[in-house]
Amino acid sequence: MSKVLVVADIKQGDLKSSTSELLSKAKAIGAERAVVAIGGNIESLSSDLANAGSDTQYIANDPGLELFSAGPYTTCVVDAARQFDADMIWFGFSESGKAVAPRVAAQLDAACATEITDVILEGGHIEVVRPAITNKVIQRVKINTDKLVAVVRAGAFEAVEEITGTENVVELSPPESDLKAVIKELVSDASGEIDLADADIVVSVGRGAKDQAGIDLVKDLANDLSAGFGSSRAMVDGGFMAHNKQVGQTGKIVAPTLYIAIGISGAIQHLAGMNGSKVILAVNKDPEAPIFNVADYGIVGDLFEVVPILREEIKKLS
Amino acid sequence: MKILTTVKKVVDVELTMRVEDGAIVEDGMQYVINAWDESAVEASVQLKENNGAETTLVSVGGGDNTDMIRRCYAMGIENGIHIEDPALDKADSSIYARVLQMVYEKGDYDLVITGKQAQDTDSGQTGIILAEYLGLPCVSNVVAIEVLDGQHIKVSRSGDAGTEIVEMELPALITVDVSINEPRLPQMRGIMMAKKKKIEVMDLAALGVSADDISAAAPRSEIVEYMASKTRKGGQKFEGEPADITAQVVDLLANEAKVL
Repeated sequence: MSKVLVVADIKQGDLKSSTSELLSKAKAIGAERAVVAIGGNIESLSSDLANAGSDTQYIANDPGLELFSAGPYTTCVVDAARQFDADMIWFGFSESGKAVAPRVAAQLDAACATEITDVILEGGHIEVVRPAITNKVIQRVKINTDKLVAVVRAGAFEAVEEITGTENVVELSPPESDLKAVIKELVSDASGEIDLADADIVVSVGRGAKDQAGIDLVKDLANDLSAGFGSSRAMVDGGFMAHNKQVGQTGKIVAPTLYIAIGISGAIQHLAGMNGSKVILAVNKDPEAPIFNVADYGIVGDLFEVVPILREEIKKLS
Repeated sequence: MKILTTVKKVVDVELTMRVEDGAIVEDGMQYVINAWDESAVEASVQLKENNGAETTLVSVGGGDNTDMIRRCYAMGIENGIHIEDPALDKADSSIYARVLQMVYEKGDYDLVITGKQAQDTDSGQTGIILAEYLGLPCVSNVVAIEVLDGQHIKVSRSGDAGTEIVEMELPALITVDVSINEPRLPQMRGIMMAKKKKIEVMDLAALGVSADDISAAAPRSEIVEYMASKTRKGGQKFEGEPADITAQVVDLLANEAKVL
């Protein structure tokens, strides 16, 4: 029986949905399941972690772990992996996961695969499936080591409802801090904003919005829907939106239930970041815009006209 | 400060990819410098210009990398090393990192700058694994660099909850995002000068690695098959009176797709 250690995805003290999605997948392949949770103030997460479906919880709870630092986080994951004797260590899709997974693999002499969409146990070895070349092709990759560290692409695995775990807690000793790469400060995103990575609905704004007034118009739509608010690269390069709001291969990869692209033409780089969405709605005044080639529903029109109507029609639904 | 920048030649992602019999059809393929590495080159050249630094690039594999390396010279990189060896044909991230480790250890570098990922594999591992092998402090996904003094730099990293500000002791390794800068276009004078510059091409033996060592270090993972990506198809596209078509689409989202 394989043993899967899932690295809990915790943001601002809350357990994110990817944790139960990964544990569900681990259950589906018949693996023994553990989770490692790392943070500065996470005492209260134990029941959530059990509800997410883990049988053993490795907890590293220390004030020094409040802010993300790749070195100490790596130490915690490696510690848990060794104690659990994990043969697979899975991270949900996150910037911290992408930073830590290769380090863990190097320390455990394991293979590392990122952005995976499936794991297959085949004749005694592990195979993974992952997109490559800006999502233009899919790779099937054979793992030659008996240990695999993987970062799972957003939306790849689905959580099952009836998964239960136990509150069997193992406390990890706090790691030493990284004295050569010292985290000084976290300049937070505006508080209260919905996290792009796990929003059910994402609304993104592109060049068509032109300026701040256009962006505000689209942001109102996002607020109405309690949606994550993202953007195309053009608006980031133009200085209108923060780097971490950029949806695309070079930014955030999202897979919400509904993705609404407003004034976004649909460069391949952007499409690679959102084409795993369940349903896509695009609003663009150019009927030939490539975004319409991937959108389930398209409105050809000027966003300055369409967005206010969209907001009103959506309000009528409730 | 001595800076080592890693550069990879990759397939041009703007082109259409065809997959036949589990492999990518290479006919008509064009190759370019990896976009993230181009940002790493630009970051190195800016550090040279603003703070004084000696800049060296290294590229592993890729066949004839002359054009790419000359382009980097024209942008302002001073020295170029290209490691090419048939034993690297099946290299994965950890093997690339081992080779880069040997290159690093032959120089006396203060800072290594790599792109955060390569656009052919989209893996994002080599730089981080290299830092582990070298025991260097490492910050990935860097969007800004500031030199504090001869021994320290301050970097901004785009993280999950916002921008993380990290002070690093040199020697160190960073991987950069494309948003860190807008790479310059090489100018005619630079292009002319680049033509005269030497590229140091080495095989593994010249680097002090035996090809057997690399062959023996079997890749930890290998691609067994390529498949065509599932392509989405465009659905219903509405043109006409904005009020009418918008109401129609909202109705479909609510009652057909059931996502509102």
